[in-house]
Amino acid sequence: MIEFENVKKVYPNGTMALDGVDLKINDGEFVFIVGSSGAGKSTLMKLLLREEKVTSGTIKVDEFDLANMSDHKIPYFRRQLGVVFQDFRLFQHKTVFENVSFAMRAIGEPNHVIRRRVPAILNIVGLHDKMKCYPRELSGGEQQRVALARALANNPGIIIADEPTGNLDPELSFDMMNLLRRICRSKNKTVVVITHEKNLVDHFQERVIRLEDGKMTEDRVGGMFE
Amino acid sequence: MRRYSIMYFISQSVKGLWRNGVMTLASIVVLMSCLVVMGSFALVVMNLNENLNTLGDMNEMVAFVELEKTEEEISAIREKIATYDNIKKIEYVSKEQALEEEKKKYEEEYPEFFEGISGDIYPASFVITYKNNDKVETLKYDLEHTEGVYKVNSRADIADTIETMKKGIIYLFAWFLAVLFVVSVFVIVNTIKLAVFARRQEISIMRYIGATNWFIMIPFVLEGVWIGLLSSGISFGIVTYVYSFVQKTVISDYGMFTIIPFANFQGWLLLSFVVIGVITGIMGSSISLRKHLKA
Repeated sequence: MIEFENVKKVYPNGTMALDGVDLKINDGEFVFIVGSSGAGKSTLMKLLLREEKVTSGTIKVDEFDLANMSDHKIPYFRRQLGVVFQDFRLFQHKTVFENVSFAMRAIGEPNHVIRRRVPAILNIVGLHDKMKCYPRELSGGEQQRVALARALANNPGIIIADEPTGNLDPELSFDMMNLLRRICRSKNKTVVVITHEKNLVDHFQERVIRLEDGKMTEDRVGGMFE
Repeated sequence: MRRYSIMYFISQSVKGLWRNGVMTLASIVVLMSCLVVMGSFALVVMNLNENLNTLGDMNEMVAFVELEKTEEEISAIREKIATYDNIKKIEYVSKEQALEEEKKKYEEEYPEFFEGISGDIYPASFVITYKNNDKVETLKYDLEHTEGVYKVNSRADIADTIETMKKGIIYLFAWFLAVLFVVSVFVIVNTIKLAVFARRQEISIMRYIGATNWFIMIPFVLEGVWIGLLSSGISFGIVTYVYSFVQKTVISDYGMFTIIPFANFQGWLLLSFVVIGVITGIMGSSISLRKHLKA
């Protein structure tokens, strides 16, 4: 569960990025966060990843209190999340298998678990036949699915996708969003998608949280972009 | 607690070095240059010091006995001198021995000077070898105030100069070494910083997937260790070769200069190179990474 209570974030230059945001996302929910540039979407993402600390208010993600969490606990907190970025952020010198297994190695999973689990995850995202390929040999959609597989590798409860379809064409964007929704439903994962793509939001009719000038102006299940 | 595989870190660090070949090479060349300069300077200073020590070992003073003193009186003077502090050896040079010494030096050139001359015109003397340069002035004072001694020749001024030079060289060496070390770390840090900067996205991905700072740091620190080991090995080879070359071809032409055999310090030189190289490599990696490890 993700819970924001009266969250304010003011940057050192005085910019008020988030101003009293309250929201609650339950386990297994699929949520779009939308808003124009400068609305506070990126700040919300940074706060969720604990890249930034709140100025005031509280953020709770499962048992973690992000406002009062010490720095050495951050890696352990981040293992509860799977993150997907617009630019994929894959290791170009590693194969698909190695990219996915890297996330498991980083938390000290033994080799036999990695060998068993990575093919299973790649199967979920439909890339089991591309295990030995390098990212440069894959299409944009495939690369994003590798990123998603890596996000799923450690079986996190929450997937955060920051503009996951920003570098994909419309057809692949729908495929990607379908995949995220399927994972949300079938694996009971909480999925938070930050996007500004109207077509996708309108098509999927999921819960939509809208930010404007750092304030939450809409929170509606089955919402539309506008 | 889960355990990370050491072999995994080692293989990652070696792959990292290979992937960032240009930066690796740059770091090795920089560190190697610093080590070669440091090592060469250390060897020059050690040899210089050794030669100064040899000069300083001529710790002698000559006390001339008044001409009219008898054998018994001369013996008494010797016994008196033997009681002084800082004496290592006393060697008696009789009037006849003094004449013989003079003949050895000058008879060939001025034979007429020695015709009809006996040892009586030469004073007997004591050649006194002392232990410690620091107390030489006291000994000289005692000898000059000894009954029956009319003159004392001493090399105390030379010994003083040598002591001052030795201290100066050691002081200079320590400073030079410290400055070179700081410069090495600075250059290595900047070189590794460039390598780390090129891999900042890699580091940011590691952070997002929940890698601990240790997991991120260890391969980079190991890269620093490899760079240190490689640099120190190559530097040691270069210094060994150059030292042997200088020893065989240059110094042999100048017999007055004593050169220490390389075997006397090859152990500590290699150890110093490895320690300095590895510490510099680790410091370089750690300092360069610090900024990227913030949450």
